[in-house]
Amino acid sequence: MKTLRIGILSTAHVHADGFADILQRTPNIEILGFSESLVTRAEAFSSSTKLKHFATHAALMAERPEAVIICSETSLHLPLTRLAARGGAHILCEKPIATTLEDALQMQEVCQAAGVQFMTAYPMRFDSSLISLKARLAQKDLGRVLAIIGINHAENPMHRRAWFANKTLAGGGAVMDHTVHLTDLYRWLLETEVSRVQAEVSNPFFPDLEIDSAGFATLILGTGETRVPASIDCSWSRPVGIYPRWGHLKLEVILEDGAFEIDAFAGKLSLYSSRAPRIANWLGWGSDATAKMLGAFLDAVRSDTPVPITWQDGYEGLRVALACYDSSSTGQNIKLME
Amino acid sequence: MRIGIIGLGLMGQVHLAAWRAAGAEVVALYDQNTAQTERLAREHNAKVCSLPELLELADVVDICLPTPQHLEFTLLAAKAGKHVVCEKPMALTLEDATTMLETCQKAGVRLFIAHVVRFFEQYQTAAASIARGEIGALGTMRLKRAGYQPAKEGDNWFLDETRSGGVPLDLMVHDFDVANWFAGLAGAGLVTRVFARSSRSLHPDAKGDVVLATLRFASGAIAHLEGAWAYPKGVFRTGFDVAGTDGVIEWRSDDANSVQSFLPPVAQSIASVGLPVLSGGADPYHLQIAHVKHALETNSPFLVTPEDALTALKVGLAVRESLGSNLVVNL
Repeated sequence: MKTLRIGILSTAHVHADGFADILQRTPNIEILGFSESLVTRAEAFSSSTKLKHFATHAALMAERPEAVIICSETSLHLPLTRLAARGGAHILCEKPIATTLEDALQMQEVCQAAGVQFMTAYPMRFDSSLISLKARLAQKDLGRVLAIIGINHAENPMHRRAWFANKTLAGGGAVMDHTVHLTDLYRWLLETEVSRVQAEVSNPFFPDLEIDSAGFATLILGTGETRVPASIDCSWSRPVGIYPRWGHLKLEVILEDGAFEIDAFAGKLSLYSSRAPRIANWLGWGSDATAKMLGAFLDAVRSDTPVPITWQDGYEGLRVALACYDSSSTGQNIKLME
Repeated sequence: MRIGIIGLGLMGQVHLAAWRAAGAEVVALYDQNTAQTERLAREHNAKVCSLPELLELADVVDICLPTPQHLEFTLLAAKAGKHVVCEKPMALTLEDATTMLETCQKAGVRLFIAHVVRFFEQYQTAAASIARGEIGALGTMRLKRAGYQPAKEGDNWFLDETRSGGVPLDLMVHDFDVANWFAGLAGAGLVTRVFARSSRSLHPDAKGDVVLATLRFASGAIAHLEGAWAYPKGVFRTGFDVAGTDGVIEWRSDDANSVQSFLPPVAQSIASVGLPVLSGGADPYHLQIAHVKHALETNSPFLVTPEDALTALKVGLAVRESLGSNLVVNL
């Protein structure tokens, strides 16, 4: 099998360590290293991963990677996408793909112009519990879907990476951070698009910050006869350092003749220890969704076939997140599709 | 204390048992189903009465009738000088609820609206923690109440939204009250904005109904409530998640109870109308009625004021309005 040359552009995102760890266990790839301009982040990443450090993104791109993973602050996805695309590298990009629709559209343009693929990092599509739910729903034997209720509440990630709560770099707070995963899962599960968005966005948890820390969105999926009401809880409502884990991804699908509840991270042990990161810890097992997502990206690059999760998927998620802000500030229902 | 119960359906019988458990004397029963009422009267040493007889015999009138009849019977009881216990929701309109409240005030009788969820120990324990400030300032609340569609034999008035108010007024009104209660304890103020979507508002012919409602409070705290008459028969799930600046409280009825049974499968009879599964501790219906009795005997406050019930109704009506208009409703 052909060896792929891979680089990690920036280590700003909390997922960068996880990607490095998986890459190091993946056969038939050559990890060129990572680029990081912040010395403190670079030192920490070097010491945890032992990967080669490039002080600039251009220096890493000069090594001609065939594929890159963009783990920068969200507002820097555009310049890094431009740099990677012009260097001929296929891109796996963290979510949300941008802070504005204009940036996202430019990202699409530069990738098309350079003939490189762009994949949005939505790992939950590769989670086994959600794959089995999708297969079960595809049987279409339980009547109409009456509603979907989703929970992706979490800790405020700023305590691990401060930029997550920076309006300029992240584009917003909890809504930007955690609306897109469930939005994407709903689109994927029902094979439809979001037609309406209504939301309450607020900052009750961190009044000193100028971003949102809580959000409840109510979407309508599809149009006409197939419309389904669906809610998303994207709040940073788990108390930092106190809750036994970052949070949850749960969703409930209620149909006319049955219901399903998914708790994607239900596989866990409880550890109570004075020597662990927290007093009470949930040690998870059973979800290797990120590794499968990365594998799917590498397969697509290697075989020159379309990536399974596209720029469009990233764009649709961003549209919903931005619509939540619009809806909450105006009180209006935002129409995304006729 | 002599009790008269009007309406001896599912809730009427639950209240009857609770009054007996509280040591009250249930003297009079009034219901159209005479055969069943006769049997209950024999079992509990009560008398099947006409309405004037009941109003004569009882000190307290407990109204367990379908919602549209709450106003009429509350006014009759109040005008006869009797204290009133009345099932939730208080009424179907704010006008009716206000009339009930004012009539009882003028008559000098007390009005107890049976928002029984406040007497579930899970909710009381959470309320006490919130009141102690253990979660800090309120941020988000999630409240769940999801069961199956009522299948009352004969006149299944629950399914007629003009009579029951549907999922928002008959079922979710419990959690509207809980949301107001918790928010009040946490200093988050009143509901300022409401938005809701439901299966039936999108598809009137849907087999079940799921209502998703979002509330915003004066402090900026927000709440998500789900109510469902949609699950397969026999399922009833409740739960809450209350998060603040310093902590979070979680509870789900799915979590382990102190008694779990593993028995060979047998044909089970399923109640026509779903009630929350009771766990270990004291029966909340009994606690509620005992609290009514205590409040009357000692002339002390009752946990749920008529104004609380009115406020819960106000939120429920706003949810219904939002379902009709697809728009945000400002309160």
